[in-house]
Order: sequence, then structure tokens, then C-alpha cells
Amino acid sequence: MTATTTATAYWNPKTETLPKSQLRALQLHKLQRLVERAWHTSPFHRRLLDRAKVSPEQIRTLDDIRRLPFMTREDWMANQSDKPLFGDLITRPPGDAIRYHLTSGTSGRQPLRVLDSRKDWSWIADMWCYGFWGFGIRPSDTVFFAFSYGSFIGFWGAHYCCEKLGCLTLASGNMTTEQRVKQIVEMGATVVCATPTYALRMGQTAEKMGIDLRKDGKVRRVIVSGEPAGSIPAVKKMIEEMWGGKCGDTAGMTEIGTIMIFECDHQPGGPHIIEDHFIEEVLDPDTGEPVPYGERGERVVTSFGRGFIPLLRYRTKDLVCKVPHTRCSCGRTGDIYEGGILGRVDDMKLIRGTNVYPRAVEAVVREHSEVEEFQIVITRMDNVQDEITVKIELKPDLQDVWPRLQAKLGKDLADAHEGLRFNVELCKQGELPRFELKAKRLQDLRPQY
Amino acid sequence: MTKHDATTTGRDLLGNALSADDKELLDLYARLKNLSARNDLPPVAIANVKQAMVMLWNACNDLALICEEPGCD
Repeated sequence: MTATTTATAYWNPKTETLPKSQLRALQLHKLQRLVERAWHTSPFHRRLLDRAKVSPEQIRTLDDIRRLPFMTREDWMANQSDKPLFGDLITRPPGDAIRYHLTSGTSGRQPLRVLDSRKDWSWIADMWCYGFWGFGIRPSDTVFFAFSYGSFIGFWGAHYCCEKLGCLTLASGNMTTEQRVKQIVEMGATVVCATPTYALRMGQTAEKMGIDLRKDGKVRRVIVSGEPAGSIPAVKKMIEEMWGGKCGDTAGMTEIGTIMIFECDHQPGGPHIIEDHFIEEVLDPDTGEPVPYGERGERVVTSFGRGFIPLLRYRTKDLVCKVPHTRCSCGRTGDIYEGGILGRVDDMKLIRGTNVYPRAVEAVVREHSEVEEFQIVITRMDNVQDEITVKIELKPDLQDVWPRLQAKLGKDLADAHEGLRFNVELCKQGELPRFELKAKRLQDLRPQY
Repeated sequence: MTKHDATTTGRDLLGNALSADDKELLDLYARLKNLSARNDLPPVAIANVKQAMVMLWNACNDLALICEEPGCD
């Protein structure tokens, strides 16, 4: 690779910096082809389009995307139940696939099954390349994946991305956390990829092992994915202090097979959308109408790259706030999700009349570096009054700070939630669960009707 | 299902004239796609040609030179 090609800040300078008018023209071209292909090859989509009385030739402008029906996770799950194993959403026989993955199951629902062809898988890795290159990863890097390499898609595509980039790529599979920390140091890994929760856990484990990652390691970038916490400033600060490298967020989903947003090296406060491969609408979750820049709404994604599974106007239930690309000085023209994925449209909890989002609680808790782990527990007292409790596990040998910290956390949480009273309780060391993939830090124990 | 054929129009999906590099990428992709569709080559050739073809597909797709499913991957 020449000095010229490694010096560019963009994986794809041609389309990452396209003027918006040209980007929209490219999206329209791809949208028309996608609708046409879905109409002809996916019975699932043909039914949806027929029901909405839309045919491919009616997609003449980008605004015509609003003619297209929404696709939901519920429809997809029902389709797979009705026509096991993969439903009739897929456009090719399962025998043409080279990859099989499942959604993570974090939501507790039936996982979705997805298939990818050889071309799809190559595209999936390519989307990660946009993100990794954009955050400064280069062929000279040694990249460590703290990932279990199971049926959850997670960092699989990122691993193939790093091989494509030419990095030395380290898979940690079934290693223990201690073994991972040891290998990161021993191999001089310069990039570590993990969920934000697990990046913190590895840092804590290193401390317990007597390893100072800032001095003993060579990590210059930590790339996180899989949880909204990756864009919480306090979490990133903790990760950066532990590891001594910059922390960048990415977000994707099994339903599209890869990432659709990534933080560039300029870190303008949120990740860029890869707009030459996706159309990301932000809609009012109740009305389905678009919300303007700067307002929160639900992500609805249309993806151009996956041949096996056409994704048209898929309602993700992710809560986001889109701002213009001009917020960032990097030159990319893909817009930005300020603060990353802000949570789930449906993970808002109503406690005594106040809205509580787990991500907002985490943002407050992580401001306190004494906290090692936490859990949010919601209960109902006497079938009437809801109570919210934040259980805290402190770092070792910091018990003395508890009375002050308990009061401070209670105040900060109340201040961030219109005065709502939070119970703040201390747990013993090791009492709270630890996570490698997506953390489940909220338990809603109220009766479900 | 390709509505736009850059090799015929001499232009990419954005309407820009193809550069020499674009033409070379498109030519390589077309040749690999043709080879990938054959079933009379030994496994060692077919498998590796398909791998190469999807890599070229990525380059041409990302550079807005094509918008299609190769169908022989």
C-alpha cells in the first residue's frame, strides 16, 4: 500500500464526501433498485408492498420512500414462525448462504435468524472498514477482539474488516478475561474491540492483576459497540483513562448484519451515518412522521447492501437525535447521531409519573469513578407505589467513600429526573452480575399485566 | 436486473465520466463475474474466483460504478 492511500482519512473518499444533492441522487438510484429487487425476489416484501398498493415504478423521488410500508421485527418473527426456519423474506435458497447468525436475545424475545451470501459477508466487512478506517485504524495496527465468536453477529464482521485492512487480527474466543488482558499486553495490541461494559471489565481486571494498561500496554484505540453506553461521555472517559487510548463508538444490528454508524477521528459528539449504503429516517414513533434535525425520534433504516435479506423501512425502535454533518469538521457528508444510540423507544420506564431511561441513569452513575458495577431494579410496593433502586458495587478498598457517594448519587439521579427519588444501595464485591456482550442492568420486577 | 450499465454509458451512477481506473475495476469485475458463473472449472478455481469477484463487487459498488446483485456468489 502506498503512502498516499494510507494517508487519506476516508475509506471511500468518493462517496463519503459527496455533496448532499449527489448523495441523495445515489440513494434514490439504490432505493429504486432495492424496491425492484425486493418486489421480484422476496414474497414477504411483495405482500407488504401489495398491501400498501405500492409498486417499484412509483418510487420516483427520495420522498417516495414514505409510500413504502414499514417493516417490523414482529412481522419478521411471525414470518419465521410461519415458515421455519427463515421465512420467505429471503431472496435466495438457504443453500446459497455462507453465514448464519442470530440476534442476541437481549430483549428476551425469539431470536431472528439471518443468512448471508459470500457477497453479503464481504459487504458486511466493508461497512466496518468505513468505521475502522475513519477512526484511524491502519494496516500496521494489531487489533484484539474481546468477543466470544458465537452465533451472535457482534464483532464478526469487524474481524473480517481488519483482515481486509491488513491488520494483525487477534481472536480471543473462549479466553478468560485474565487471559485476554495478558495477550493484549504480550502481543502489543494497538486496538481493542469490545462492548463498553467489557472494556471496563478488562480494565478492572488488569488493575487486579497489577497491570497498568497505560504503561504496560500499547493500546491507542478502543472501539466499542453493542450498547448505548459507547456514546456516554463519562463511560468513554473511564475507558480512555483505563486504557490510555481514544475510545470510539460504532453501532450496528444483526438485522442489517453490520454497522451503519461510526465515530470518526474528529469525534464531534456522535457517529456519522454511512449514507451511501443506508437511508436512515428519524420518525416520531407514534405518528410515523419525520422529526426535524435536533429532535429525538425512532431510527427507521433502509439498507442497500445485504442481498439475502432486503431491508426496507425497518423500524428499529432505537432512539436517536440526528444533526447535520456540518457539526463535524472531518469533511464527511453523512449526518450524525448526536450522542449515538440514545436507548430504545420502548425501554423508557415510567416511575411515579417520571420517565426514566436506563442510559440516562448510567450516564449519572458513570460520572463516579468509584463505581465498579451497578444494577437498576424497579419494584412495586403494596401493589401501588413504584420504587426504583440503583444497586452499586464499589471498586475494592473504597468503602470509606460510600456515605458521601450514596448521598451524591441520590441527589444527582434526582436532579436528572425531575426530582424523582432513587434508592441507592451498596452491594458486596462480586455480588452484581458481569457481562461480556450486551449488559442487562435493568430488572423490572413489577407485575406485568 | 442492472438498469445502469457503466461500461455501456461510460458514466458512473452519479453521471461522472469513468476514469481509467474505474474502467479497469469494472472490467476486472465483469471478467470475474463471468468466471464465477461457470460450473466447468475445478473447485480451486471457482471458490477463489468467487472470493475475488465479491471483493471487486465491493470496490465497484462503493465507488458508485454498479448497483446490482452479482447472483453468482
